[in-house]
Amino acid sequence: MKDEKINLESVRNKIDQIDNNILQLLQKRMEVARISTVFKKDIEDTGRETSIIQNLTGRENALLKADFIEGVYKQIFLESKRIQSETSTLAAFQGEHGAYSELACRMWDPTLAPMPCEEFIDIFKGVEEGVYDYGIVPVENTLGGMVGQVNGLMLYSDLFVVGAIKTPIHHCLLVTPGTDHRNIRRAYSHPQALSQCREFLKRQNLEPMRFFDTAGAAKMLAEKNPASSCAIASSLAASYYNLEIVKDNIEDLNTNQTRFLVLAKEPAPGTGNKCSITFTTDNRAGLLFHVLQLFADKNINLTRIDSVPDQPGEFAFFLDFDGNLTDPKVQDVLDKVEESTTRYRFLGCYEERSML
Amino acid sequence: MNKLRLTSKSDEKQKTIIDVKGVKIGEELTIIAGPCSVETEAQVVGTALEVKKGGANILRGGAFKPRTSPYDFQGLGLAGLKLLKKAGIESGLPIITEVIDPRDVSWVCEYADIVQIGARNMQNFSLLQEVGRADKPVLLKRGMHSTLSEWLNCAEYILSEGNPNVILCERGIRTFETYTRNTLDLGVIPSVRNITHLPIVVDPSHGTGRRELVEPMSLAAIAAGADGLIIETHICPDEARCDGAQSLTPEMFAKLVTKLHIMDKCVREINNLDQ
Repeated sequence: MKDEKINLESVRNKIDQIDNNILQLLQKRMEVARISTVFKKDIEDTGRETSIIQNLTGRENALLKADFIEGVYKQIFLESKRIQSETSTLAAFQGEHGAYSELACRMWDPTLAPMPCEEFIDIFKGVEEGVYDYGIVPVENTLGGMVGQVNGLMLYSDLFVVGAIKTPIHHCLLVTPGTDHRNIRRAYSHPQALSQCREFLKRQNLEPMRFFDTAGAAKMLAEKNPASSCAIASSLAASYYNLEIVKDNIEDLNTNQTRFLVLAKEPAPGTGNKCSITFTTDNRAGLLFHVLQLFADKNINLTRIDSVPDQPGEFAFFLDFDGNLTDPKVQDVLDKVEESTTRYRFLGCYEERSML
Repeated sequence: MNKLRLTSKSDEKQKTIIDVKGVKIGEELTIIAGPCSVETEAQVVGTALEVKKGGANILRGGAFKPRTSPYDFQGLGLAGLKLLKKAGIESGLPIITEVIDPRDVSWVCEYADIVQIGARNMQNFSLLQEVGRADKPVLLKRGMHSTLSEWLNCAEYILSEGNPNVILCERGIRTFETYTRNTLDLGVIPSVRNITHLPIVVDPSHGTGRRELVEPMSLAAIAAGADGLIIETHICPDEARCDGAQSLTPEMFAKLVTKLHIMDKCVREINNLDQ
């Protein structure tokens, strides 16, 4: 009796895992199909459909019949064509599904289709080329500081900032279903997430294991299930990879927040509560001070000053401030900033939201 | 009793007061209430809100249950702890829950405000050492076959590991009497008072196993000098998955609390006469 129960349970766990993989692959297939609309004129291509079905039904066997394969794929084609004909809005983020950037994207606008990209540069290129409508990128974290790579890309991009969102980052400890929490020994995650949970890991005597990405660690755990291991990632990653949350909010401090920018090819319509600019100044005493003085004189509150090295010996600055472009005071300051700087660019006037 | 280096009083006036999220155990009347085990979110949150309204200042609930039979309901484990924590947050009450496995101590401490060592585990020395290293207060129940000396030596195990916050709990001992589930040893309360500085609470639910005896024995425990009580309460005792026969309804509990406060006031007045 007992053996049978254990077997059925383990078989069902396997089936759940396979279903989860099927769903992930379908998601990926739909994403790729949606992107293909950028490159083709007609959505329907019956020749291509026939050749796919022919190819797949050729692999028929006792458990996988040709008419079943054909039925499944006809359904997939139908849905694929439906989403291609719909004008869904695509928002690119960096990382695997379940990344904190995707969470921010969903908070910004739940109707957007979040599209995973491997690198930040893929987001910038994709939006510039019109593959994606928006890009959502982290710019600063309260514990980790600024995201230098993103600022570097902003410098030479024509994209506009059309929105910003501040979100709290809550880490969860994830295991594959059925894992006994008593047997966990190692925790996989991005080094920054690991360091944000250092006290918790110490209390539970878990060895931190560095991984390139939080959601990537969750994905790896779901796929490979290394012995005695868990991952630290978002609750979204838990649902995306069918993992169990052993404990949520495991971060040591509750001041962990990330600010994300939403990027697009065109400036945001309407007015906002926030503006961003970037500029370079000549390397002379008092020039940056003079620019900042312009804002101070008009009592405009600066919310971010970042500097990134540009050409050798030159620094580019990023300024964010409270205000909107329709305000003559703001317009006046910006005119003066443009006069006294080189390589000045107005990045956008947009709405900033806080989910804290 | 001569080896109770940390458990016994160093002077007549010494008394340990344990502050659990503002509840001063050992100073104010401490009333711990809640279901025997965490069953569903509705049950534990519902009971929590009711006992809070009825005057409890700490919420109890079991997630890991030490049961006589391996086929009985063993508790919801970690999932039960999450529900108990939720009930604690919604009612604003600190929570206490039992731990039965040394490997669970660090995990239980992530959720609980007080960890409980049950009667059956009183002399589980590796478990005592583990909670002795934890940073949460420990409620140590008296084993059903244990003498006062054996019990206090178990408290000594916890204190000697560096955890100074131990609450003793009398829950009845085995005698030849079968009418009650156990025989509640109220004589042990003044004895504990004389020997140690640790606070002591009484569990009249397990002590009697009979709902109708919970009120008189609770009042008697306070009269005998207990610092508080731990009382099983369930929004629907007849549907409880364990120990329903000794659980109070929220109405019975609220009435009892009113009487307990009268008794507590009376005892304090009497004590003032001696000073």
